[in-house]
Order: sequence, then C-alpha cells, then structure tokens
Amino acid sequence: MSGIVCAIRGGPSSQSTIEKAIELALEYSLPIYFVYVVNLDFMAHSSSSRVHMISQELEHLGEFILLNAKSKAEKMGVAAEGIIRHGEVGNEIIEVSREYDANFVILGQPRRKGEEDFFSDKRLKVFASNIEEKTNAKAVLTEVNQNNEA
Amino acid sequence: MKRKVLWVVFVGLLLGISIALLWQGQDSLASPEENEAWIVGIIQDNHNAPVEEVQVTLHASGSDAPLSETLTQADGHYTLVMPKEIPDSLSIQISRSHFRSIEINLTSEEIQNLKSGRTITKPAITLERQIGAAFWIATIIFVLVLVLIATGVFHNTLAALTGTALLFVVSYLGRPFSETLFIFNFHGAIKYIDWNVIFLVMGMMILIAVIENTGIFQWLSYFAYRISGGRVWLLIPVLMLITGIASAFLDNVTTMLLMTPISVQIALAIGINPLAMIIPEVFASNVVGVSTLVGTPTNILIGSYGDISFNDFLANLTPGVILAFVGLIIYSLLTFKKDLSQAKTASPELLAMLAERGKITKPEHLKKAGVVGAGMLLLFIFGERLHLVPAVTALVSATALMVWIKPDIEEMIDAVDWTTLVFFMSLFIVVGAIQEVGLISIIADSIGKMVGDSLVLTMLSVIWLGAILSVFVANIPFTAAMLPIVGYLTLTVPGAETKVLYYCLSIGAALGGNGSLIGASANMVTAGISNSVGYPITYATFFKKGFPAMLITVTLATLWLLLHFLL
Repeated sequence: MSGIVCAIRGGPSSQSTIEKAIELALEYSLPIYFVYVVNLDFMAHSSSSRVHMISQELEHLGEFILLNAKSKAEKMGVAAEGIIRHGEVGNEIIEVSREYDANFVILGQPRRKGEEDFFSDKRLKVFASNIEEKTNAKAVLTEVNQNNEA
Repeated sequence: MKRKVLWVVFVGLLLGISIALLWQGQDSLASPEENEAWIVGIIQDNHNAPVEEVQVTLHASGSDAPLSETLTQADGHYTLVMPKEIPDSLSIQISRSHFRSIEINLTSEEIQNLKSGRTITKPAITLERQIGAAFWIATIIFVLVLVLIATGVFHNTLAALTGTALLFVVSYLGRPFSETLFIFNFHGAIKYIDWNVIFLVMGMMILIAVIENTGIFQWLSYFAYRISGGRVWLLIPVLMLITGIASAFLDNVTTMLLMTPISVQIALAIGINPLAMIIPEVFASNVVGVSTLVGTPTNILIGSYGDISFNDFLANLTPGVILAFVGLIIYSLLTFKKDLSQAKTASPELLAMLAERGKITKPEHLKKAGVVGAGMLLLFIFGERLHLVPAVTALVSATALMVWIKPDIEEMIDAVDWTTLVFFMSLFIVVGAIQEVGLISIIADSIGKMVGDSLVLTMLSVIWLGAILSVFVANIPFTAAMLPIVGYLTLTVPGAETKVLYYCLSIGAALGGNGSLIGASANMVTAGISNSVGYPITYATFFKKGFPAMLITVTLATLWLLLHFLL
C-alpha cells in the first residue's frame, strides 16, 4: 500500500489541508487516507465519567467530517478512505502512516498563533521531522487560516 | 415437647436479662451522687445561631475539679445534672475551640434553688469568636483550593481533597504543639458533609446514565432540524429549548456532551459555523437549568441548605428563567445573524447520515426511563407532603429503574461520577473549616453591615456578586461558601424570610457561568468538543459573546425577582 495520509479535524482550518492532499494525489496518482483522531484530553479537567459515551459521540462526529472530506476528494476523481483512531494525535498519525506505508503526510500549519494545541506552529514542525524519522513518508505542511470565529 | 421446653428457657432467659438491665438502669438513674436539680440553657454565637459541642463544666468556685459536665447539642442546649452535695459557691465554665472561654458565677439565689431540688434555666449565653492560628490556616487552605481549581493546576477533586488533607494534617499533627492549631477532628469535619446533596447527585447520575445511551438527544436534535425545515431562525431556538429543558432535569455537562456532537453535524450539514449553534445552546443550558432543584449542582446545594423544595424552585424561578430565556434567544439570533445567514440546503448524503444518527437506539430503555422519570417528577412535586427529601426520591427512582431494566451493575457503578461526589464531600469539609473557624461569620457580618436593612440592596448584592464572581471562579465552591452567609442574611434582613436571597444566589451563581469560558463546566466541555473538530472556542470568543448574554439574562432574572418578591 502507498498513498497520502491527511490528518484532519474538520473546520475551515482543514480545508487547505484537504486541498493540498487532493493536489498531491492528482499529481502522483495516489489514494488519500483521511485520518481523524478522537482525543479526549479536554476531559481531563472536567468532573465527568462520561468518557466512553463522549468517545462514541466524537467518533460519529469524526465519521461525519471524514465523509465531507472523502466526497470532496472523490468529486475531484481521487480515491479516498476515512480512518478513525482513538488516542494521542501524534502517535496515531505515525501509526497510520506506517500501516499504510504513506508517501506523504499532510499536516495543517496555522498561519497565526492560536491556542496551544497539537496543531500549533512550533510543535507541528517538530512533529513533521519526527514523522520523517519514524516513517517512510515526507511530511508536507500547508498553511491554514484559523480565523473561524463566529 | 423438647422444642417447647427450649422456647420457655429462651423466653425466660430474655426476661431475666431484661429485668437485670432494667434494674441496673433504675439504679443508675437514681444515682446516690446526683441531685434531682438541673441547670439548663442554650449557647449561641453572635448571629444567634446555636453552637454545638460546647464544653459546659460546673465547678465549685476556686476548685478545678468538675462537679458536672456536658456538651451542647445541635440546637445549642445543655443540661448540667447537679451532684448530691451542692457547695455554697458555684461557677459554670464554657469553652469551645475558636470561641473565647467564659466563666459564669451562679448567684446565691440560684444555688439555693438548686439545693432545694429546683431546676434553673440560665439565659442564652453568647460566645465571642476568637481569631487564632487555626483561623488563618483554614482561610489560606480555602483560598489555595479556589486557586488550584481556577488555575486548573489540579483537577477539582484533587484540589478539594488536598485542602481536606491539609486541614486534617494541621489539626491532628499541630494540636500536640499548640491548641490554637486545631481546626476540627474527623468527626467534626464529616458533620459538614451534606448527605442529601451526595445521594441526590448520585441518584440523578444513575438515571442519566440510562437515558444518555438511548439516543434521545440525537433523535430530538434531528427532530428539531426536521420541524424547522432547515430554517435557522427557527432551528436555533428549538435546539436551545431542547437543551434548556434537558438541562433542567439532567446535569449541564452531560446535556452538552450529548447535544454538541449532533449539533455540530447539523450545522456542518446546513453549512453554518457550528459555533453559531453550540454557543447559544450552552447559554441555554446554563440559563434554563436553574429553574429546577436538580437542574444545576448549585441549586442542589441551595435547595438542601435552605430547605427549598422542587416546587419552590419551579414557582419562584421559572417565570424569571422564561423571561431570561426569551431575551437570550433574541440576543443569540442577533449576535450570530451573519453566520446564520450562510445556511444552505443540506446535501442528501449528509442528511442521510444525520437521519441515521437521529434514531432511538434503545427504545425499551427509553420507555422505562420515561415511566420512572415521570414518577420521579411526581414525587419531587408531591413528595413534599410526605416529607420525602429529594435525595430519597432520586435514589428510589434510580434503584427502581435499575431493577426494571436490569443493566450491567458494573456499568451503572462506572456511570456514577465518583470524582464529582468526592469533590462535593471534600468541598463541604473545606467550606466547613472556614465556617468552623469563623471566617464565614465575619464575612456575613461585613455584608450585613454594608447592606443594612435594605432587602433590595441585599438582593442586588447577592445576585450580582454571584454573577460577577462566577465569571472568574468555579461557582460550586463559591455557592457552598455563600450559603451560610445567605442563611445569616435571611435571618437578619427584614423581608428576607421568604428565602428570596437563596433564589438570588441561585440566579447569580448559575447565570454568571455564561460570562466566561471557565464560568461553567458545561462551557469547557463544549469548547473541548468544538476544538477537537476544528472549531476552537477561545476564551476571547466566549467572553465576547457570553458576557453580554450574562448581563442580559441576569438583568431580566433580577427584574423578575424584584417584581415577584417586592410587589
């Protein structure tokens, strides 16, 4: 297997990531594996034991986001698959890249400083080199606009 | 025959033991060392509240040897039993941790009465607070717990547990060195735990665990989409209403955990920014939840402390909540007007997926949970006549539901949020400590002096202090600390005996949660879900939308409370 792993989490910030993955897929005739990782770190400070239930709900939400991305790729004539994973975002992206022997891993790079999370600028560059060390894939960073305030 | 003999022997034995015990009892009642006379009285603090466990000791003047001693009861009463031989001069020594000890000499007339076997009743004795090392230590620990919760350095439960542990360490290890370091012992600390709150929350958690897995929220949300026909100006209020009603009976965090994912899907399907849908929903959850006793943890605390029933909350708060909710709907539609105008027709593919999600997954469980839920509601409403406390209603309903549906008991035990229950228990102890050492009493005095006899000023102070502080600090510890203060003001401010100040605290603490992202746990989990699907809700975004929403809803609810209680 080979192809392009594209990690998305929905929202406008994922659109340019999806577009970049489609562009590369057309150029190299590769399928895209869209990955959505269910991560429950945000529950760490909430006094709720509903981890199992919210994990399921986020999985459904992830399926919905992946369906959107897949249909966008398929409209452009690119074969696409959606993959849901649970756990730490970085580890899961590396795992999927290894499993699918990915040629490229597309990651969204924020254009402006947002909240400190996995996809923040500084951490993303470290992660990109980590991917290239641990897998056969080339990490591709795409600039995304995070301005999606209501 | 043999059996009969055995029975006779057994009954005879029982009779013998009973007579022996009775004889012994009579013997002790008529102790030759005691007189028939008593000294009775009551001990209170400067708020006229009874003081429990005060050491009351009778001495012969000039002697340290106690002639009689006792502890005051929960109602502050004490009874000193007189010895057979009564000296000519007597004094009563009164002492308790965190209060100044006093000694009262009995008059010769009182002593004469006692000698003649007559009981004397002493006038109420007021103890003055003593501020010592324990006062400052308990205060520092309380502030430390608040800071740990606010900064998120520790999980809420760990922060409260740390506070509790520190209180015990200081009390037990410090006391051998200095009596002034003693705050309370274990027995004294657990008296502050409100078990009514613990069991009510636990019962509700079990019920919620059954309901949340039935798919009812997903079905309701999809139903809202269908009846609105995709018209967002109708869809948003309907979703807000569903969220609000659910929050009035379930906890807000669970409601938002269930509503947010399906709402994000609906928003994405119709092409609008999901924040324009989920932020109004979380506002609605914080506002409408306040209309019932079980809608918010703060109401559960208030209801139990102030002895306010389910019906009282409904009757006194619901109209105000409806008023605030209408204001909130108008505000939400206006503030998100630009985003909502982007709505388009959903694609058939996404609609099919939504329809698939919007199905009841466990109809049998839902039916049974509906029946038990309706029964529980009736018991909440009418149980007052049977003196049925809400904790019993919730516990009986939860047990009945479990017996009926026979779930995996391990799953049900897992569904109970033990961290929250431990948080409540530890918090009660930490707040109990500042109550024990007199901090609450000092704050209550200061507020009392500031507001004077004006009920309007007191109402406005409690509502807005609650609302503004809830924007910055967690509203559960704040409410727990405010309750004794509100209790004192209810007794001292003319016109407050209607318990209006408790409703003011309820409104302030809950609606204030909309003022910032950290104002309510429901806000945080909503932001967490939203962030994980690429729509981050930043502190600034939430504040920009939430603070005006808080001002509007608190103002409207304040108007209602003023009209309802003052006209």
